[in-house]
Amino acid sequence: MLFNSVDFAIFLPIVFFIYWFVLNRNLNVQNLFIVIASFIFYAWWDWRFLSLLVISIVADFFAGKKIGTTETKNSRIFWLCISIGVNIGLLGFFKYYNFFVDNFIEAFSFFGKQINPRTLNIILPVGISFYTFQTLSYTIDVYKRKIEPINDMIAFSAFVSFFPQLVAGPIERATNLLPQFSKKRTFNDTKAVDGMRQILWGLFKKIVIADNCAYYADMIFNHYADYSGSVLLLGALLFAFQIYGDFSGYSDIAIGTARLFGIDLMRNFAFPYFSRDIAEFWRRWHISLTTWFRDYLYIPLGGSRGSAWIKIRNVMIIFIVSGFWHGANWTFIAWGAINAVLFIPLILLNKNRNNIDTVAEGRLIPSFKDFLAITLTFFTTTLAWIFFRAESITQAVAMVKGIFNKNLFSIPYILNHDTNSYVLPNALFLLIVIFLIVEWIGRDSEFAIEKLKGKNVLINWAVYLLIILVIFVFGGHKQQFIYFQF
Amino acid sequence: MKRFLVKIALLTLIVFASAYPLDKLISHWLKKSNSFAVKEYPVWNDILNGKLNSDIWIYGSSRAWTQFDPDILQDSLYKPVYNLGIDGLPFPMQYFRHSLALKYNKRPRIIIQSVDFGTLTRRDLYNADQFLPYMLWDNDFYDAMHEYKGFNKLDYKIPFLRYYGNYPAFKEAISVALNPGKNKATRVRGYQGQDLNWNDDLERAKAMTDYYRFVIDNGSVKLFHQFLEECSSAGIKVVLVYSPIYIEGQEFIEGHKNIVELYKEIATKHNCRFIDFTKDSICYEKKYFYNSLHLNKTGAELFTQKLGSMIKDEL
Repeated sequence: MLFNSVDFAIFLPIVFFIYWFVLNRNLNVQNLFIVIASFIFYAWWDWRFLSLLVISIVADFFAGKKIGTTETKNSRIFWLCISIGVNIGLLGFFKYYNFFVDNFIEAFSFFGKQINPRTLNIILPVGISFYTFQTLSYTIDVYKRKIEPINDMIAFSAFVSFFPQLVAGPIERATNLLPQFSKKRTFNDTKAVDGMRQILWGLFKKIVIADNCAYYADMIFNHYADYSGSVLLLGALLFAFQIYGDFSGYSDIAIGTARLFGIDLMRNFAFPYFSRDIAEFWRRWHISLTTWFRDYLYIPLGGSRGSAWIKIRNVMIIFIVSGFWHGANWTFIAWGAINAVLFIPLILLNKNRNNIDTVAEGRLIPSFKDFLAITLTFFTTTLAWIFFRAESITQAVAMVKGIFNKNLFSIPYILNHDTNSYVLPNALFLLIVIFLIVEWIGRDSEFAIEKLKGKNVLINWAVYLLIILVIFVFGGHKQQFIYFQF
Repeated sequence: MKRFLVKIALLTLIVFASAYPLDKLISHWLKKSNSFAVKEYPVWNDILNGKLNSDIWIYGSSRAWTQFDPDILQDSLYKPVYNLGIDGLPFPMQYFRHSLALKYNKRPRIIIQSVDFGTLTRRDLYNADQFLPYMLWDNDFYDAMHEYKGFNKLDYKIPFLRYYGNYPAFKEAISVALNPGKNKATRVRGYQGQDLNWNDDLERAKAMTDYYRFVIDNGSVKLFHQFLEECSSAGIKVVLVYSPIYIEGQEFIEGHKNIVELYKEIATKHNCRFIDFTKDSICYEKKYFYNSLHLNKTGAELFTQKLGSMIKDEL
């Protein structure tokens, strides 16, 4: 079920009313209802893959209990390995099996050997990368004795399957989310209004910014060989806004929806395109995944301690694994590696924590130095996005070369192959500028329009109605959420 | 909780309450557009406002509204003429236009029905934007269009919903409201000659496929027979006209001769006149066409003069 669908617009109020008005007296029943609603939400896409979700829940619930109640180290490691094996096994089979098989075939044929292993027609279950990582965080935290194992299967199921964040995150930590399912929730009016506000902003980002950018970005990426440098650069820029609007929009809707149910999810985006270096960007982009890798991979590998080579190795590992998490394609690995290469100088020079405050805090406009740093960081991440979006490394390299080869400073007219006419999406440019201004003004808040809280009611309502109208006018290019494919 | 629910209800109420006035406003301006939706609004407005005021009506698709010049016909026939050609749509939608024209206007003496390879086919709701300002709570539009893809049931019932995501329509409506001076009428009495030179449509089509293929739709054929019977009973004379197609274009249409024969048979059956221009000298001169299926302005004027002299005796 998509957040920007009529189905969800019907589903959400029904679940909300039953949750607060019918089942609010009994915590267990309320949790059970969350599980049922979440399963329906997931099954709307494909009910058959509910079994994988159930396997993940059952395996980690029992593994967690075993780890928590066993004192011997070997036994604890054994049960942790079971948990990791089940989750990574599911992920490996459904997401990476064909990738590895294809690459083995290519590697063998490179050395003159022909092999014919079977590739399978595997459908990637929606959200598998998200919920497997979420449940893994639980068993690892139990193993590290950061949390006690839970005995309540229903609460644990609700933690894993909670529908707002089930299919595209934020990837929650057991330490944050699980305790919320063990205590009675009371409705908080301010929190709910804030949630609605965040949902509205998320819808704006997704429907207005991301979907419209996608329409033109697809035109350019699908026919990249036809275009001059300026159009290719425009394609990359539009994709940068598409993926940000799409994914941070999804996260805003997820967080806002969770708030309606009295649940606080972790923040996933913190205005990453206002970052002054790549390290700051990665502290602000997909925070739940970045911190997951930091806590469960980077730090166990030694983190930023040790020799220069150890630092380089660890950064390369975490970024390449992160890239590979996104998809079974060399383009994602290349994207991860590029980000690692951009990150490494900062960590070697010990400058990776130079920019941890909000940019231009307390000022309306940034200093020239900050502006330059933001622009440079944005353009480098945008060039890296080309690898993320491209179908192949060859395409990505051709596009990057094309940007710097042919007419980079010409007016970027896009050829619409359907109508055989050239277009310049001026209205979209204007929307992006307005979007950036609103985000800039709200950059010290959780989300851009959070600042409306406590302001003049009339102004607030005028803003809400204006956003709804803009969504209505520009909502014509409905697209799937990008991160569903991961 | 109560406060929250009241706020949500109020916001929903405001959104729904503002839908109707916004719908009226956008539809009002959009109807005035002389350029949006292939310039179909002036024709719809004249039909629905009973302003056709003509004895001769011309039906057909783009090969009607770009090729049959009402002024030239009027000069030779001494009767007012209106071109009701509807771009890109085959007979079922032409018949819908016919029904509305009869409902709101004095009926004509003659209908010149442009027929061709596409008339008796069926296709999706092409150029659906042309219906936007008229379709809310209108049963005629609902009955004619609801089986086509393009709009869902709620679009006919809930104000403003059908405009969702249609940025070009909003842009046009606002542009008409703010710059009425720029909104010049170029399609007059339904007709606009195309002052264009030969383009490469045929060459590009040849590169992509062996033939232009058109599938005759039984439902459309049945409706066409019904239309001819209805006109006959109402005392309206119908003349079927197959206007010129560039000769290479005729050869590129699969089974073209059979299509022409079909209209001959239909005309014979209903005792109406069929005028076939597919062998006329115009068809051999590229200079009269802007693509193989459409005459340019010069070709259209020449063709209409010829047609006028041929149907004088029908009046």
